[in-house]
Amino acid sequence: MIPRWFYPLGLIAVCLALVPFAVVAKLRATKSPDPRPQIIWDMDQGYAYQSQQPNALFRDGRAMRPEVNGTVARGELRADDHMYRGKVNGEFATTFPPGIEVNRAMLARGKERYEVFCLPCHGYTGAGDGIVSQRADALQQGTWIPPISYHSDELRNRPAGHIFNTISNGIRTMPAYGLQVKVEDRWAIVAYIRALQRSQNATIDDVPANLRDKLR
Amino acid sequence: MSDKKSKSFQFPKWLNTIRPHLALGALVGPVYLIVLIYYAWSPQTTMVGYQPVQPVPYSHALHAGELGIDCQYCHYTVTEGAHASIPPTQVCMNCHASIWTESPKLLKVRESFATGMPIPWVRVHDLPAFVQFDHSAHVTRGVGCESCHGRVDKMEVVFQDKKLSMAWCLECHRAPEVNLRPPEFATAMGWAPNEDPAVFGARFAAENNLNPREDCSTCHY
Ligand code: HEC
Ligand code: HEC
Ligand code: HEC
Ligand code: HEC
Ligand code: HEC
Ligand code: HEC
Repeated sequence: MIPRWFYPLGLIAVCLALVPFAVVAKLRATKSPDPRPQIIWDMDQGYAYQSQQPNALFRDGRAMRPEVNGTVARGELRADDHMYRGKVNGEFATTFPPGIEVNRAMLARGKERYEVFCLPCHGYTGAGDGIVSQRADALQQGTWIPPISYHSDELRNRPAGHIFNTISNGIRTMPAYGLQVKVEDRWAIVAYIRALQRSQNATIDDVPANLRDKLR
Repeated sequence: MSDKKSKSFQFPKWLNTIRPHLALGALVGPVYLIVLIYYAWSPQTTMVGYQPVQPVPYSHALHAGELGIDCQYCHYTVTEGAHASIPPTQVCMNCHASIWTESPKLLKVRESFATGMPIPWVRVHDLPAFVQFDHSAHVTRGVGCESCHGRVDKMEVVFQDKKLSMAWCLECHRAPEVNLRPPEFATAMGWAPNEDPAVFGARFAAENNLNPREDCSTCHY
């Protein structure tokens, strides 16, 4: 005879067998702050350091070593003052450096970069009404100085090299963007700011004669 | 002789009557184990949803979502290098030198800025060391962040949204069409073409001569 406890026990075993599935289903449905359990490590972690990994050997904990002070890496000699500092003979340059060609593609690049890096504060037209600026104003903490508009005579008359320098090193309360924006892209942004300034200060004379009728 | 026999263990008689049950168990058991391991070991279980606790309560939902700051503002190497940089403290201080200057949530950021020690952000997505992944190859050719990282602009804390397994990479390399978009929208979230994504993707891939490779040396070298 099959003992009386056999079928109940079997039922319990079948139920218990479902528990692992429930646990896994929960794991799949929820997020976890713990790294995945790895039973077999394969060769997942190499001995070589990857970008931005920590390394306890160095005091600052960085595996990627910054340049040693006072040294210049190969190909990083930035002797051309006009190109890298926007200066000619110690004065801010009014022209673009010879190696930079201003054309439509460059302006498009300038627009794209402007909208990544400058838009949050300066806004689409450069009026200084970017969303971060609006939010910071709304917070009323008294520490935020809104960006000035590009559309004053003072800023329209700034030499190109001055704007380049503003991007590289910041100005007054504006932070420096030299770290995030490459040199060619900085010149492209300068060209785009010039275009913005023209566009916000345009007169009917700027419109080609054959198109003027369309504006009326 | 009979004495010895009575002492040794004997299977109870009733076991004979449940032999069909035992056979069933022997069949179902291995299937059960295989299904369980397949289900529990799949990257969908082990990899997706990893959401480590970060040292600073930085929110993508606020910065990238609400404020609409472009991903490249912080991850500015993504179109040029293999690696999408985690921003240095300097980048946070661009704004936080004058916004929330006293906030306790930003204490670690100010500390890091003052001492030069990096903020110990915890890595979320991490491929094994023997896989070579390149961001620029994807982002500049029309695969958006969203396809591989999910809706980061809705995440308070970043978590892994996709499997990042080899099968997952290959699935897209074999049929990338539905995941393609013009590169200028690579960082846009929730972008979709006006037409059927498969039709758009097929045309886009043909126009741009996109042909993701599948041979082992593409990713393992
Ligand atoms: C974090 C917000 C912020 C961002 C982002 C930002 N700026 Fe500014 N910018 C400012 C502020 C604030 C000022 C006004 C500084 C002052 O008057 O003290 C300013 C001023 C300027 C000026 C006028 C300086 C002068 O007097 O000649 C220029 C030009 C300028 N920014 C260009 C840029 C460009 C180009 C970018 C993108 C690479 C950019 N800014 C990004 C905040 C920002
Ligand atoms: C204001 C700066 C900023 C912006 C803008 C930003 N991020 Fe981040 N991102 C960070 C920081 C800081 C981290 C590291 C901390 C963390 O994981 O939350 C990070 C982490 C990540 C990670 C996880 C990295 C890892 O460890 O695996 C992904 C993926 C990511 N960001 C994608 C995006 C995408 C996509 C966007 C655009 C929608 C974006 N980020 C916009 C600052 C930013
Ligand atoms: C382009 C400007 C900008 C950058 C860059 C930026 N933030 Fe912010 N952040 C803001 C603004 C604006 C707010 C405030 C939003 C609000 O409260 O309305 C904010 C709020 C915060 C808060 C919440 C503060 C509080 O007390 O509520 C934290 C934390 C924070 N940011 C962390 C970071 C970190 C970490 C970085 C660097 C990866 C960073 N932010 C980079 C603009 C920025
Ligand atoms: C084709 C898929 C794919 C796309 C598209 C993609 N990523 Fe990634 N991302 C990954 C993978 C895979 C990793 C893990 C890399 C590793 O471990 O080496 C990663 C890692 C990261 C990291 C951590 C740092 C690093 O590079 O390891 C950040 C930040 C990040 N991605 C941001 C972005 C942003 C921002 C975009 C869009 C501009 C983007 N990713 C587009 C797949 C992708
Ligand atoms: C959403 C689609 C998608 C996913 C997911 C994806 N890729 Fe790609 N991958 C592409 C496309 C599209 C290209 C560009 C092909 C071309 O340029 O012809 C590409 C190109 C590459 C290249 C450069 C190949 C070359 O010719 O130089 C590498 C390496 C690569 N992928 C690795 C990976 C790895 C590793 C993963 C998984 C972590 C992955 N990819 C996931 C779509 C994807
Ligand atoms: C599109 C990129 C890509 C290609 C092509 C590719 N792999 Fe992989 N491979 C990966 C990724 C990503 C992983 C890591 C998966 C993980 O972490 O789960 C991986 C992991 C592996 C592993 C380790 C599996 C494990 O469980 O640890 C082996 C072995 C492997 N690949 C072999 C191959 C072979 C053989 C080929 C050629 C037929 C190939 N791979 C082609 C992306 C690729």
